[in-house]
Amino acid sequence: MTLFSIARKTIRQNFSNYFLYFASMIFSIVIYFVFVSLKYDQTIQATSDTSPKINSVFSGAAVVLIIFVAVFIWYSNSFFTRKRKKEVGLYSLLGVRKKQIGRMLFYENFIMGCLALIVGILLGSVLSKFFVTILMKIMGYNAIVNFTISLEAIINTIIVFMIITLITSFHGYRLIYRFKLIELFQADKEGEQEPRTSFIIALLSILLIGIGYWLALQNMLDSAIWRKIGFLVTPLIIIITVILGTYLLFSSLTVYLLKVSRKNKKKYWNGINLIGTSQLLFRIKGNARTLTIIAVLSATTLTAVGAAYSLYYNNRSNVEMADPSSMMFIAEDNNIAEQVNGMITNSKDHDLIYHEALSTLQVDADVTNLNSKFYSDEMIYTVVSNRDFNTIAKLQGRNDVLSLQSNEAAVLDAMYSEQMSPVYVGATISLKINDRKENVTFNHLKKYSIFNYRTAGTTIVVSDELFAGLAKEIQPENMLLYKITNEDNAEQLTKDVQAIMPDEARFSSFYADYAAGLESSGLLIFMGGFLGLVFLTATGSIIYFKQLTEANSDKERYEILHKIGVNKKEIRLVIAKQMAFIFGLPLIAGIAHCAVALTALSRLLQINLVIPVMICMGVYTCIYIAYYFLTVNAYYKTVTKTK
Amino acid sequence: MKPILKAINVQKVFGVKGNVYKALEDINLEIQEGEFVGIMGPSGAGKSTLLNILSTIDVPSSGDIIIDDQNIIQMTEEQLSDFRRNKLGFIFQDYNLLDTLTVKENIVLPLALSKVPAKEIEERVNVVADTFGIGEILDKYPYHISGGQKQRTAASRAIVANPSLILADEPTGALDSKSATDLLESLSSLNDKNKSTIMMVTHDVYAASFAKRVLFIKDGRIFTEIHKGQMSRKEFFRTILDILASLGGSDHDVI
Repeated sequence: MTLFSIARKTIRQNFSNYFLYFASMIFSIVIYFVFVSLKYDQTIQATSDTSPKINSVFSGAAVVLIIFVAVFIWYSNSFFTRKRKKEVGLYSLLGVRKKQIGRMLFYENFIMGCLALIVGILLGSVLSKFFVTILMKIMGYNAIVNFTISLEAIINTIIVFMIITLITSFHGYRLIYRFKLIELFQADKEGEQEPRTSFIIALLSILLIGIGYWLALQNMLDSAIWRKIGFLVTPLIIIITVILGTYLLFSSLTVYLLKVSRKNKKKYWNGINLIGTSQLLFRIKGNARTLTIIAVLSATTLTAVGAAYSLYYNNRSNVEMADPSSMMFIAEDNNIAEQVNGMITNSKDHDLIYHEALSTLQVDADVTNLNSKFYSDEMIYTVVSNRDFNTIAKLQGRNDVLSLQSNEAAVLDAMYSEQMSPVYVGATISLKINDRKENVTFNHLKKYSIFNYRTAGTTIVVSDELFAGLAKEIQPENMLLYKITNEDNAEQLTKDVQAIMPDEARFSSFYADYAAGLESSGLLIFMGGFLGLVFLTATGSIIYFKQLTEANSDKERYEILHKIGVNKKEIRLVIAKQMAFIFGLPLIAGIAHCAVALTALSRLLQINLVIPVMICMGVYTCIYIAYYFLTVNAYYKTVTKTK
Repeated sequence: MKPILKAINVQKVFGVKGNVYKALEDINLEIQEGEFVGIMGPSGAGKSTLLNILSTIDVPSSGDIIIDDQNIIQMTEEQLSDFRRNKLGFIFQDYNLLDTLTVKENIVLPLALSKVPAKEIEERVNVVADTFGIGEILDKYPYHISGGQKQRTAASRAIVANPSLILADEPTGALDSKSATDLLESLSSLNDKNKSTIMMVTHDVYAASFAKRVLFIKDGRIFTEIHKGQMSRKEFFRTILDILASLGGSDHDVI
């Protein structure tokens, strides 16, 4: 009997024990392979010619994935070697040479790695097709997927995982050399001590997190603190204080609170509370590092996915703000306008909702009075008359009527932001008309525009008489506005219209901006979702592994409890309560961190993230809860299983 | 006196058809309130099997077991747990203390599980701790105290809920002779003063000589029994030894 055949036999006979390890390897390989084959896919490669973003995002994400997958496999590998220490010790006791045992463990891990690689790639081939379809769907491409598995993807995956497998196999080989025989037999018997903690450290944890949150919630642009510490250092400080605070929160504050809760004998000496609280007290400190990692990972995942999803979610409303008309351009001669009219009436998919032509003025203005931090002293505005504004606003379904007198003006700024934009209302700017200046005073601010931003920019509405006066001195421009049905599907029409437009027409269209937004935010959300799912699965599995390890060493404790008359229901309850703690803490911390990060982000970007982020958190929590029940069940089965 | 425990025709068979092994055959025994019974026998005689069955952790293949007028054979898992909690106290060879609980909390545990009010718990724990002389170490954790102290803690836990029957499984097995004597004397005085009913499985003649009656088991059957009666402990010790000799076993177990 060769060593190789012993190793093969061990795997075959203990397969159920190995299943988890095997499954997590396959999972990692499938994820990585799907990712790489997306990267090498022809359809996507062709797309990335037009947007080089895609390629770099893929490469960056691939690196993150490799690191993550390696850590994950390493973690599950240690979980399994730990479980097998006794078996290895037994071989050694029976007189098998260390070298042989080492080689056996090496082969064993290597065989499993290779099998996982084959299964993973096969499974990945099927799944990647599915993922390409999803990616195309959310990015808004209608391209028919002609997906093939590329050889490069297979080779890339094989190389990466062969390296990882070799490293873990070598780690297994070293196992027998790293421990004394007696240590192998006493795998989980190390006596635990009651953890110490101090009130001050417990307080410090809250303080640190508080500082981090406070800094993050400052208004970045005019906070003195941010300026003082520096815009690059502050985020670093926020991250460090929050992570350190979270760690101390888990390792000290929880221990402290549990100890305090023991003082209340009425509650503590009540049924299973006694067992649950004391077990947690002994376990939580040892878990603090894992819990911190999970809290931070959850926070990062949630923030990234939340932000990406918000962009995707808000794409339509953002584009609607920027492009209130489906198409808009400046046309001097009627020739182009007629051609466009023809195209729209000829297209089967679209009907005309409105079509307007109005004359506007491009005016230079001295805006020193606005005291803006970001604008220069001169701006070019599009000027439109009060009457035209009222007409278009009504057409666009806005219930907004202006009646400006003499030198009053209203500004239309669709990109308005509390923090970045100047204070318009009450300010006076002077329009430069040839040699003279005309002062106008803003008494209205509209946070939308009636024109597409890319054609008209920021727009000023002036009274009809002022407009009439100005129009005599400045050559007006003829702006054309079209609103059509089905504007988010107007790929062909937009292309056709665009083709006949000269550059100076400053053509803008709803469809082009909408598709661009979908493409970049769709890619972000796909990446975010993909990595988020991987992180979530991995963090869930890490807690699961860790808790099962503990279940194995806690077995004896639960046997004692069973003997002295704790029934199975109560044992289940004790476990469920403890797990709720272990799972709940990092989730709550993660959600809190993410909420703060996204609040800061939404303030900065002036977008409302509440709904998309709530959806993300909801989904995340649901999957997480599924892991919770899985772990409680497995834990319960482990400790109640009789020998 | 009323009987606390009655075992009627108890049998325990291990294995499947064709390859059965009878661990217990036709065991009939009765323990009266306030008795201190020792159960002896060579290794493999079925002592542990019997104790596991009487302590409701294992079920017999046939027969009835009545403890405190309740037939435990018909009980559900949940009823059994409650029964163990309220009627039985356990002392094991390897103590079986929870290492995440202090000595005090270990003793508190059975009372807490039975939802006894905190104030009453406090009183009862103090009384029991005095009985076993462990008042000094109440706030220590099990890994900080000696084996003898651990076993006295376990004994305290066993009796704190005033069980109808205390079951001890080789309680002195892991103790040095001084600690063993202390523990046995405590048990003995508990039996004398509080009228606690104790059943102790042991293969240590010295430990058995503290009991008032000793049952001998061999090959799954009750072989014989002797009463201490008016004998001194030393005489009783010698009598037990003689019987063991005739049992053809464990001379080497004698201290």
